[in-house]
Amino acid sequence: MKKVCENWKQSFPAGKFGEQYFSEFEARGKAASAEIFRVKTAAEGKQIIAELAETTGAKKIVAVDGPLQDASGIIDELKNMGLEVYTSTTDIAEHVDTADIGISAVEFGIAETGSVCMDGYAIEHRLVSMLPPLHIVFMNSSYIVPGVNEALEVLSKVFNRGYISFITGPSRTADIERVLSIGVHGPCRFVIIAVDEEIN
Amino acid sequence: METKNRNIRKEIEEKLNDEVLRGALSRFAEAYPVSRAKAYENVENLDALREQFKNMKSRTVEHIEEIADKFEAEATKRGAKVFRAKDGDALKEYLIKLCKEKGVKRIVKSKSMASEEIHLNHSLEAEGLHVKETDLGEWIIAIAGHKPSHMVMPAIHLNRQQVAEYFSKELKEDIPTDIPYMVQVARQNLREEFLQADMGISGANFGIAENGAIGLVTNEGNARLVTTLPRIHVVIMGYEKLIPTIQDASSILRQLPRSATGQQMTSYMTMVDGVTPTMVKKDGKWVEEDREVHIIILDNGRLKAAHDDKFKEIYNCLRCASCLNVCPVYTLVGGHVYGHIYAGGIGAILTAFLHSMGDFEKINEMCIGCRKCTEVCPGKINIPGLIEELRARTVKENGLPFAAKVVFENVLSNRKVFHTLLRLASVGQKPFQSGKVIRHLPLFLAGMTKERSLPAVADTPLRDRISKITKKIDKPVKRVAFFAGCNTDFVFPETGESVFKVLQDLKMEVVFPEDQSCCGKPVLGMGDRETAKNIAKRNIKAFEDANVDVIISACPTCAETLHQTYAEIFADEPAMKARVEKFAHKVREFSSFVAEQYAKAGRLTKTTGGTKVTYHDSCHMKRGLGIYEEPRKLLEAAKGYEFTEMKDCDKCCGMAGAFGIKYTELSMPMLKQKITNIKDSGAEVIAVGCPACMMQIQGGLDKQAPNIKIKHVAQILAENIKD
Repeated sequence: MKKVCENWKQSFPAGKFGEQYFSEFEARGKAASAEIFRVKTAAEGKQIIAELAETTGAKKIVAVDGPLQDASGIIDELKNMGLEVYTSTTDIAEHVDTADIGISAVEFGIAETGSVCMDGYAIEHRLVSMLPPLHIVFMNSSYIVPGVNEALEVLSKVFNRGYISFITGPSRTADIERVLSIGVHGPCRFVIIAVDEEIN
Repeated sequence: METKNRNIRKEIEEKLNDEVLRGALSRFAEAYPVSRAKAYENVENLDALREQFKNMKSRTVEHIEEIADKFEAEATKRGAKVFRAKDGDALKEYLIKLCKEKGVKRIVKSKSMASEEIHLNHSLEAEGLHVKETDLGEWIIAIAGHKPSHMVMPAIHLNRQQVAEYFSKELKEDIPTDIPYMVQVARQNLREEFLQADMGISGANFGIAENGAIGLVTNEGNARLVTTLPRIHVVIMGYEKLIPTIQDASSILRQLPRSATGQQMTSYMTMVDGVTPTMVKKDGKWVEEDREVHIIILDNGRLKAAHDDKFKEIYNCLRCASCLNVCPVYTLVGGHVYGHIYAGGIGAILTAFLHSMGDFEKINEMCIGCRKCTEVCPGKINIPGLIEELRARTVKENGLPFAAKVVFENVLSNRKVFHTLLRLASVGQKPFQSGKVIRHLPLFLAGMTKERSLPAVADTPLRDRISKITKKIDKPVKRVAFFAGCNTDFVFPETGESVFKVLQDLKMEVVFPEDQSCCGKPVLGMGDRETAKNIAKRNIKAFEDANVDVIISACPTCAETLHQTYAEIFADEPAMKARVEKFAHKVREFSSFVAEQYAKAGRLTKTTGGTKVTYHDSCHMKRGLGIYEEPRKLLEAAKGYEFTEMKDCDKCCGMAGAFGIKYTELSMPMLKQKITNIKDSGAEVIAVGCPACMMQIQGGLDKQAPNIKIKHVAQILAENIKD
């Protein structure tokens, strides 16, 4: 998969990232309506996703690969559940508009805002993150920077071309009577699986 | 192009009678400051952050062409095509040609104010192109055929019933007024548009020269789709969006969401750098291709502003609209009366530069100069100051209206004529009630309008009472001159008497230089700098001759004009510079000066019990001079008074110079709210430090709460001094 950077961790600001920022990240992310699950192992994350697929009645899933997804074994699990799972770029392009869940991973979190940074150079990754009503991402729970300043410090080291997104909760609008409504053009639900065992 | 044949008064009246609009705006005005404050709760030093952003933008605009060259080079290196459009026509020509060449039929757009500024959609549709706005608010107003009434919430003027009606008409089915349902209807309808579009047009919240990337700050997710699904992506961005480096985006990203929508971050912050892959279906098969990217940098007046010593400040505008959200006028009438697409005070300035000066002239009086906007602006733009500058330039170019010219040059420039006229006014105020002259005189003369109770010109002005109120002070600690200003001299001479009493009690010798006149602010407000200079010179001379240590003013507007504005208007006259500086250095506002003296004398001990008193912060006092603690300390220490705060204590009372008189219909709702807040505080006395506010609020109390008394801070202090 095409990426802006192959090893993001190398560019995290020395001494300014880590698990110590997780609780603030979690609180602010949840305040922005992100659903955050902290798990010890990627395999535990698999269980959560499987349950989400079941409770939402999902039939079709699009997913991009990555170390965390692989370690969790989620793709096989969903296939075993009898769900349609698409992972190749062309399959994703074909099915993404009718998929119920998109699964991918993000590079790091920002405590100040509860956002996550997604490397979206690959078209398949963007599609998976934008079109289905539910987007689930894996991340390492210790890959958190304290603020927007540090996040841009990272970007200034790695971002030479491509597509980057900070995602903060689900898609939303308040354009009618300033009433907050979730899920306009993007996902209605945004779920973060934060994994303690470091997988890179 | 300038909009012709507008009747602003009628438009204002319509907006004031629009219940939906008034309800939405007043609810929003209540909610916004709270959500903004909450969003900034984890920003340690907001002022430093604003300063950081302002400095970054100020540095950038100095080299805007170089930064644009760098941006173009870096974006081009990464496969994007960059086009510099000098105006809307050039942009449209490029874009229409591109659509023809590439066989584009369907276009989806995410929000771009720059495209609205040049009425792009209209031109594209005229070429037979299918264009859809995809931001929900923009889609609503596009369907309704309206202009945006707010820069961030374009459809704030509509309620759910109205939106449902427009949706039903557009989609030819009955749409219920349920908001989540309507949002889903928009999702489904627009999803098809995204999937079928050949071209996506987005704006940009910033463009980074270092790597040629553009940044988009959005909530709905439509901008991500616009920049991902169609095979061609066009960015329309004004020069003011350019920043040098990736890290420079920090002060934007930490402020824009918080100031615009009260969020610590929007749902999506997207950066697109160069060409990126897309999927295209060819002969029934999906193929990965590079998406074509065109970045159009729009000038349309921006480069002229960049090279203008004063107006380069508009590059500091983030389009967060926080200035609208706190503007007492905007929150009454909404954005449509501003004529073009940019609303509020900043909108008036942008309209002048990016649209037409004629449209600015129609709306420039809508700024009351209260400076609430400057207090919240992430770029610290002096919006009222720039509006005054624009007015001054208009006057320089086109001259003043004839009647005003006659009055300014023949009456206000000549103290004796002016004061004779005032004395005449006290005898026979009737003859001044009609005619055009009245509203161009300093505002108190216009007090003779019949819409509200305003005090008449006093029988005996302060200047005729001086000998009676002057005490001989043995071994005075200071020699002080009092600058009365028109209001205190001729309308509220009692305030002047109190000032004398308080200062003399402090063992100061107080003098009243006879030759002093109006400070000049009313003519400056109208843009007549030459007359203001004449007035200033006379005042400076009068106080030089008085040979004093301190010059005291009990009017914050006068104090600011003497202390600050005189230096600015003589900036180009080196001969006056030293004199003005020496003069300005001596000028002190009454309450802050007295608080300082009282503190030294140990007279600022808080007292409890007594008459409940609250305090109204005058705009010029709080935001002009930065004085708000001192009057409170004086009131808290005043014997016989119990100080209490009121809601929105620093919100404009609606007087604001000529505005309160000319736009009575706007001034009155502001006054009414002020009186309500005073009443709700439970205070029996409202204290003010500004004679103009005193005039306005007194008029309102008279009608709505005759039991509440208004007093200048000086009067309250004087009450506690034995004769």
